[in-house]
Amino acid sequence: MTPDVPNPNRVLVIDDSEFIHKLVRVRLRKEGLEVRAEYSGREGLERSLEDVPDLILLDVDLPDMDGFEVCRRLKENQTTRHIPVIFLTGNVTTEAKVRGLDLGAVDYVTKPFDDVELRARVRAALRTKRLQDILEQQSYLDALTGLWNRAYLNHRVEAELKVSSRYGRSLGIVIGDIDHFKNLNDTYGHLFGDVVLQSLAEVFRVQARQSDIVTRYGGEEFVLLLTDTQLEGAMGLCERLGAAVEERLFVVRDERVTVTASFGVTTTEELDGELTPEALLGAADAALYASKQGGRNCSHAKTREGFVRIGSGDVPPGTFEGPETPKRRSKDRGTPTRS
Amino acid sequence: MEVSEAVPEGALYAFRGTLVEPIRSQYEDDPDMLELVQGFAADLPGRAQEIESRLDASALEDVQRLAHQLKGAGGGYGFPQITEAAATLEQAIKEGSGENVIKDRTRVLCDTLRAVTVSGVP
Repeated sequence: MTPDVPNPNRVLVIDDSEFIHKLVRVRLRKEGLEVRAEYSGREGLERSLEDVPDLILLDVDLPDMDGFEVCRRLKENQTTRHIPVIFLTGNVTTEAKVRGLDLGAVDYVTKPFDDVELRARVRAALRTKRLQDILEQQSYLDALTGLWNRAYLNHRVEAELKVSSRYGRSLGIVIGDIDHFKNLNDTYGHLFGDVVLQSLAEVFRVQARQSDIVTRYGGEEFVLLLTDTQLEGAMGLCERLGAAVEERLFVVRDERVTVTASFGVTTTEELDGELTPEALLGAADAALYASKQGGRNCSHAKTREGFVRIGSGDVPPGTFEGPETPKRRSKDRGTPTRS
Repeated sequence: MEVSEAVPEGALYAFRGTLVEPIRSQYEDDPDMLELVQGFAADLPGRAQEIESRLDASALEDVQRLAHQLKGAGGGYGFPQITEAAATLEQAIKEGSGENVIKDRTRVLCDTLRAVTVSGVP
């Protein structure tokens, strides 16, 4: 897993007075925070969308629209709704406080504010925000392996497809599936199966680059999303992954057990038609199916010319004709059919 | 603070009949704050003038806005007196008080602003 590197917390101040901007900057400098400031509700909303700060200090009395309206719009927008808002207000009526809190603000500070109190309230809001971020991240993690999970992959595939089409970069995808995993489980027990999953997750994590997104897609299936990667590079990774899996030696009940995996790979450059997450995953899955059909412990790429077996050289490239319409196979996958 | 016939000994400032002792920032000794306080203080005489001229033009909305800003900032720069005087003026305008009350409170605020003294600011 490559966890997102935490940046210094960024605070946005929306207040029409430059004196408040300067004051907040100096006061929050001690907290190691990056402070930006805007003068109006409109500018503040634009900046919030662009920067997505970790905290917004929002004046109630703004020249163009009041702070309550700004807060309401922040909370309506998908991008900005999770940003905690602290109201800066000279108005201390209970009604105003309640109104702000009901709109989704986490706190309020009355102006003129006390330095120590301001910093304490900012710290508290950021603490809550951090926990919220951790919770969100955990919902995207696979508990057994610590890799990203399927929900995260679905979320990222979409985003990465957009990035790759915008910048004309190739996006690669690898699906790896442990061979005869059910058999391993049945023979050596589920605890052993778990050890294998954890160990291979580690292998994938080590082999992948920092910028790759390594996920446990489900069961014994792993998906790697390779940003800015051409087919050649993706194929090379498949070979390394296959070799690294085979090198891992497991010992169970004094028995040495090796595990193999099959891989399917493709990139956006090898696909025609609309580049959807389904198309990308489907093509890699079809290539994986080719590897399973081709005897397992091997890799195939879906290319413009058809399916190509990677490495080994036993089978000339392009000889395997993949299925016309790849379908997710629920029964076949992982069920060993010893032949 | 109100005028007395004779200026008492030790009083340094007497403006327009209101006697105000020099006002110093609570944060002047805070090295983080000194520069900010100096900048804020240097701006205050101009603010006072602006408030007075808006009042002369009967632009009460402007006076209220300026008072509001000073109310929010004053205490933060270590001048609770500014916040207090500005709040009193803002309140008077909000409540639609009589001309004399507003004039009086404007004078108190502006005298307070002019009484601010910070080392390094002439």
